[in-house]
Amino acid sequence: MKCKLLVCMMLSCMLFSSAFSQTKKITGTVSDEKGTTLPGATVLAKGTTIAVKTDINGKFSIEVPEKTKVLLITFIGMQPEEVGIGKGVTVTVTLKSVAALLQDVVVIGYGTTRRANVSSAISSVKGKDLKDLPVAGIDQAIQGKVAGVTVDNNGGQPGGGVSIKVRGITTINGNDPLIVIDGVPFYENTRQSSGYAGLGGSNGQTGNSVMATLNPNDIESVDILKDASAQAIYGSRAANGVILITTKKGKSGDGKINYDVYYGQSQIYKKLDLMNLQQFAIYQNQVATTPTPEFADPSKLGKGTDWQDAMFQNGQVQNHQLSFSGGSDKTVYYLSMNYFNQVGTLIGSDFTRYSTRFNLDHQIKSWMKVGVSSNANKAIQHVALSDAAPGAIWDMAILNPLVPVKNLDGSWGGGANNFIPGVQSENIDNPVANTNLRKSRVNTMSFFGNVYAEIKFLKNFSLRNEVSYYYGPYDNVAYQLSGNVGPRQLNSQYSDYRSTYGQWTLRNYLNYNWYKGKHGVSATAGHEAQYNYSQSISGKKINLANNLLDLNAGSSDQTTWELGGGKGDGALESYFARGSYTYDNRYSITATFRSDRSSNFGLNNPVGYFPGVSAAWTVTNEKFAQPYKTIVSNLKLRFGYGAVGNFSIPYRAGVGFWPGPVGFGTSSYLNGILNPDLTWEKVITTNGGVDATFLNGRIDLSVDVYNKSTASMIFIGTGPRLLGVGDNWDDLKGPVINTGKMTNKGVDISITSNNIRTKDFTWKTTLIFSKYKNVLDKLAGAGSAIYGKVFYDQYLLTKTIPGAPIGSFFGYVTDGLFRTQKDLTNSLPQFGYPVDVDHTWLGDVRFKDLNGDGKITEADQTSIGSPLPKFTYGLTNTVSYKNFDLSVFVQGSYGAKIYNFLRWRLEKMDNTYSNQLTSVLDRYTATNTEATLPRFKTGQVNNVAVSDRYIEDGSYLRIKNIAVGYRIPANILKRAKIANARLYISVQNLATFTKYKGMDPEIGAYNNDIRLMNVDQGHYPNPRSFTAGVNIEL
Amino acid sequence: MKNKYLYVALIAATVAIASCKKSFTDKPALDGTTIDNYYNTADEVRSLTSTLYGLPWSGFENRAMDCIGDELAGNEFTGSGNADDYPFQSFTISSNSVRLADAWKMFYKIGGWTSEYMNALTIKKSKGGNPTFIDPAIAECHFFRGVVYFYVARIWGDAPIVTEPGRIILSGDFNIPRYFKADVFRYALEELKLAEAGLPETDPQKGRLTKYAAKGMMAKLYLYTKDYANAKAKALEVINSGKYMLVNDYAGMFNNSKNNNNAECLFSIQHQLAGNPWGTGNQKQPDRGPGNLQTTEASMWELYIPTVDILSAYESGDTRRKGSVMEHGWSFPSWKPTNASNAAYNTFMAGGYKYDTIQATNAGGQKNETRSNIAKYVVGPGSGFGSETVLGMNTGLNTPLLRYADVLLIYAEAILGTAANTSDAEALKYFNMVRSRAGLLPKTTLTADDILHERRVEFAFEGDYWFDLQRQGFAKAKAIILAQNRGTTQYPKYITITEDMLTLPIPAAEVAQDPELAKPAVKYY
Repeated sequence: MKCKLLVCMMLSCMLFSSAFSQTKKITGTVSDEKGTTLPGATVLAKGTTIAVKTDINGKFSIEVPEKTKVLLITFIGMQPEEVGIGKGVTVTVTLKSVAALLQDVVVIGYGTTRRANVSSAISSVKGKDLKDLPVAGIDQAIQGKVAGVTVDNNGGQPGGGVSIKVRGITTINGNDPLIVIDGVPFYENTRQSSGYAGLGGSNGQTGNSVMATLNPNDIESVDILKDASAQAIYGSRAANGVILITTKKGKSGDGKINYDVYYGQSQIYKKLDLMNLQQFAIYQNQVATTPTPEFADPSKLGKGTDWQDAMFQNGQVQNHQLSFSGGSDKTVYYLSMNYFNQVGTLIGSDFTRYSTRFNLDHQIKSWMKVGVSSNANKAIQHVALSDAAPGAIWDMAILNPLVPVKNLDGSWGGGANNFIPGVQSENIDNPVANTNLRKSRVNTMSFFGNVYAEIKFLKNFSLRNEVSYYYGPYDNVAYQLSGNVGPRQLNSQYSDYRSTYGQWTLRNYLNYNWYKGKHGVSATAGHEAQYNYSQSISGKKINLANNLLDLNAGSSDQTTWELGGGKGDGALESYFARGSYTYDNRYSITATFRSDRSSNFGLNNPVGYFPGVSAAWTVTNEKFAQPYKTIVSNLKLRFGYGAVGNFSIPYRAGVGFWPGPVGFGTSSYLNGILNPDLTWEKVITTNGGVDATFLNGRIDLSVDVYNKSTASMIFIGTGPRLLGVGDNWDDLKGPVINTGKMTNKGVDISITSNNIRTKDFTWKTTLIFSKYKNVLDKLAGAGSAIYGKVFYDQYLLTKTIPGAPIGSFFGYVTDGLFRTQKDLTNSLPQFGYPVDVDHTWLGDVRFKDLNGDGKITEADQTSIGSPLPKFTYGLTNTVSYKNFDLSVFVQGSYGAKIYNFLRWRLEKMDNTYSNQLTSVLDRYTATNTEATLPRFKTGQVNNVAVSDRYIEDGSYLRIKNIAVGYRIPANILKRAKIANARLYISVQNLATFTKYKGMDPEIGAYNNDIRLMNVDQGHYPNPRSFTAGVNIEL
Repeated sequence: MKNKYLYVALIAATVAIASCKKSFTDKPALDGTTIDNYYNTADEVRSLTSTLYGLPWSGFENRAMDCIGDELAGNEFTGSGNADDYPFQSFTISSNSVRLADAWKMFYKIGGWTSEYMNALTIKKSKGGNPTFIDPAIAECHFFRGVVYFYVARIWGDAPIVTEPGRIILSGDFNIPRYFKADVFRYALEELKLAEAGLPETDPQKGRLTKYAAKGMMAKLYLYTKDYANAKAKALEVINSGKYMLVNDYAGMFNNSKNNNNAECLFSIQHQLAGNPWGTGNQKQPDRGPGNLQTTEASMWELYIPTVDILSAYESGDTRRKGSVMEHGWSFPSWKPTNASNAAYNTFMAGGYKYDTIQATNAGGQKNETRSNIAKYVVGPGSGFGSETVLGMNTGLNTPLLRYADVLLIYAEAILGTAANTSDAEALKYFNMVRSRAGLLPKTTLTADDILHERRVEFAFEGDYWFDLQRQGFAKAKAIILAQNRGTTQYPKYITITEDMLTLPIPAAEVAQDPELAKPAVKYY
């Protein structure tokens, strides 16, 4: 041994030709967290210039002076590590990736900070925690992952709408949070597409998701600003919360090629229990005055058409993501390409997206860094008319099972009242034929990005200049092909809507960072100017030559043409500043201020001011806490207070012009009534929070309680129709007013427990719990309320009066049925009707006289349920064992009510021609007086009144996602020069536990309108899907 | 550190760029203008009141007008499975009725539009707008506001009156009471008086309102308030003006848009043949036209068909029957509907459209419950099939709401007054003008029943007969309705009404939003 050492020493003397009197040789291995050895890592003897690189096997050998105590090991993309060498001669070094370090960095808007310094309420999700979810957009991916953020899929439409609500319902206006992707703001996440109104059919489908048109696979992290002290830096746009999305960047070192692919199939998991032909025939024979002769002997009939089978199909999803990343010490790049395709379970609905992203960062001078983050996307969507009545699912459910999908001659069945001579049917179209002949296609493109230059100067200062841009061409065509549906002939029609939206933002801000001893100061101040412009044009023609989908192919008869357009622009100029001070890692305080001048407010109040302040105390860094550190390793108390706003106004008062002739021809109209005192909507949040880590990092707990109060809400003042003004397209708009007050009080809890952490086996559990209580405290005046009406005959389903949660259902309270003559004799007069067989009779619904005036009138309506959940939760378990990993994600909602408007239609029993649920077989008749449902009666009005009869419990618990993955061992991959490969299979919505009678309890909100939450108008159900995927890294 | 100055310069430059001009955020709307820089010419002002003649009426005109005006009255029939319309046939109308809600919404909407239009025009005048064309526009607004409240009083009786919607909304107090029916009538009358005073004698644009439209409407309103002297006087002013006459082609007024704004029209809803904006076209055709007339261009779903009762109301030889009703043997040779997939149909219709209740329905026959269809407002199967252009549900036909024939019958009725009968020469003269146009023999004496009957067939399916029945008083209305077969020949149905059914319930959603509506009516004047 001695000898060996001597030889080494001699060798080293020779090698270095140095006069070191005494050196020692250290050997070792450098590897990453996964145990993969790292070739090319730098090993430096600290305090010297002596350095070596590790060899191909990650091994190194270094001669260092005897006095050297520490080795510094560095590797690109890894956190530098210092290793004490003491007496040892062999060391094993494990480097942690920088990503692990970055977990501690929180994006806060116009900057980042360390998690330890955060004093407001900010939740973060990493892109890698959202893996294995075959979803179109990031909005869907964060469902159940963030405390305080409630996400509902508004339907199963591929690329369909998603309701994201940060901490309850902030305002009666749009509740979409501000989403900022690498500095580019997205104000709305809901976009409506053309229905068929222009085609002689009905309108109405719920809006679609903007985020679905962007690729979620490029996302590195998502940071959500939840309280006003954090949001204030975004001022007038932050009322609904701010979601900051940071995309992936390259890392210095060897280039990486990643290919991720998955493929899946989906089905609806539940069908409605509708009557088949035999059941329907028996039912119609009993209730119709003129029964269909063909129904004389129901036993001879088959099952008829199952419209659900005809309308639903197996859905498919596939996703391909190819990315290249890497860089040198001065330049990093990330380039990705994505293809996503989803075919919906409802026929005629699909979604395809192509996207590419390029991110580049370059250190051009020692004092200057420049970069670009750019994105180009194209999404094509075929929208099924669902989630609104009438619509595909609504029609599907009520269409008579006698109507064939196709006639024997191959033509589409149905299509007219008397499609078979003598057979009456509901006069609705064959939905399969409709879907084949009519389409609404949306083509969304977006090009956006951010270019920056960052200059460091003096000491501690840096100046950042950014230009972000967005350009979005959009077109939406709705068309009908010529054809026959039974005897009914359709002519071809084509309407084409095209628009572009452009936006630029110029942003300059100065950062200052200063540390001395226990004191730390950081400050940001800047200016931002933003301008946006939109324009649209639309045209329509009929009778297309050869069904060609082009305007030129249409009829030359100008009376049949339509032409319209629109334009608008807006500007926002802002100043903002933020300052933080930390002392001794114990105390930190942050103050923020922003002022916004908006083009939306030109009159008395053009500028809004938004302050925020927050403070934190890290208790565990106090001396007195040291003894308890083994139990509580970290404990931080936070407090924040701030104000943010909402600057979007629904319209600008003035004179407008109709797109076509009205009255005598060209006509103008008054677009609303001016309110010169219109001002900002204000949201004030108080937040208190605790972050704690127990048992040496085994359990992380974060709890926030908040009180969020919204005042001066901006909305179009409307009331009863008798006022003569309203908020529909053809109304003279009510004045835009500031009124009312709404509060959300709630608690967000997230707990992460590292149950098991061994070399081969880890098990982590994360629980997310969100609870809030929403109350509309005040409106403009006594008697005013907020009303929610569905498209179907403008039925009023929700009415929120002060004191109730927003979107509360409104109607009568039922009190069973009139089952006996005695019941009838004792009945209170209902709606002024006499007691007779045409009005109130045996088998009718009895309503409660709530005001005790001895009669049932409109005054007996009341709040009959809230669509808001009492709480929502998400529970994620991730387990890894050697090369296997498993994640089980359970998500749920408790206590929300659903207005099952489809069941209202399907148990209506006032029409002999339309199909109903089999539940109507147990309706009241002379021989079935103990029935659950009321009697059948045409032209009957009592039984179908909006009442608690249709309110259902919308609580559900869903096994949202189970994924099992297997990482192919490195020794196998090496031969194929593959760095990493993982295979996985996953299942979404495996099981849903609910009492809800409709197809799917996750309803969301129609067009994200908080006045129509949890109203099932023929909801496009979220399907169950099975997916398999591979991640490969070269 | 010589770069220091460069940095300072950079910062200075940045700050300089950073401050935008104040005009940066000063953005007027790009898709419209303001009353400050618009409404400077007569055409501009008239483009505003032009809207009142068309689009906003569609909510009432399309269906509610059928349900209330003719179905309640026993003129129109609909299938019992039709939950929205059937209650008007069976008198089981609920406060949740969508038809009632539509009618209510439309009348009050025009009330709101006219109120705010008048407000804006008054402001424009105060800013130097030219009263020579603004004042007549304000008078047009008064006319429309008067007319809608005239409907409101007749349909609902006691009802709210709203004149300042913007102010009410800014105040936030929506507790608006119902006012006595008599006061609503009076309010409507006051509005019509203002219209009469401000409207011109004549207007170069056919179909625009003149003084005489206001006078005619006042005459009608006076009849409802039983002010026979004034009804007679106003009707006579219209007659003596010499500006109106009965047109010979009764059917043509309702099946061809080239007859829009003919010599008989005092006031019509003005339609444009267009599908956009929705409701600017006339949408009555699809609800009335027979299924066997449907083509790729024209929808027909015969929601409303004549009752057997009105079919029996026509006197033998009344030429209005063919203009109002399609029955077996009715034809329209220039309409040439075809169906791509039905050769038998095409053969049957080869010589032009035939209404035939014997032919098989899959070969061009037409067999509905009363074996008849309404002919009024059916302009045909579309330009590709030999008629004028039709756009799906939309036609370009106007809907007259006040015809000269009405004024003549009002005049006769005003002379009769409360008398049992009259042989007044003037009354007979004008009454018989209406009859002789229909090819009927003149009458020599007149009773209230004669006039009521004449009104029924003259204005059949024009949305008026219910109001005529209603003003007969409960006992008589009840007896008339009880005598009507509201079912089919095979399944007759007779209805007994109660007095409260003479007025219709206020929509439930309205009462929910304004609980004052559930309380007893109060005085307006």
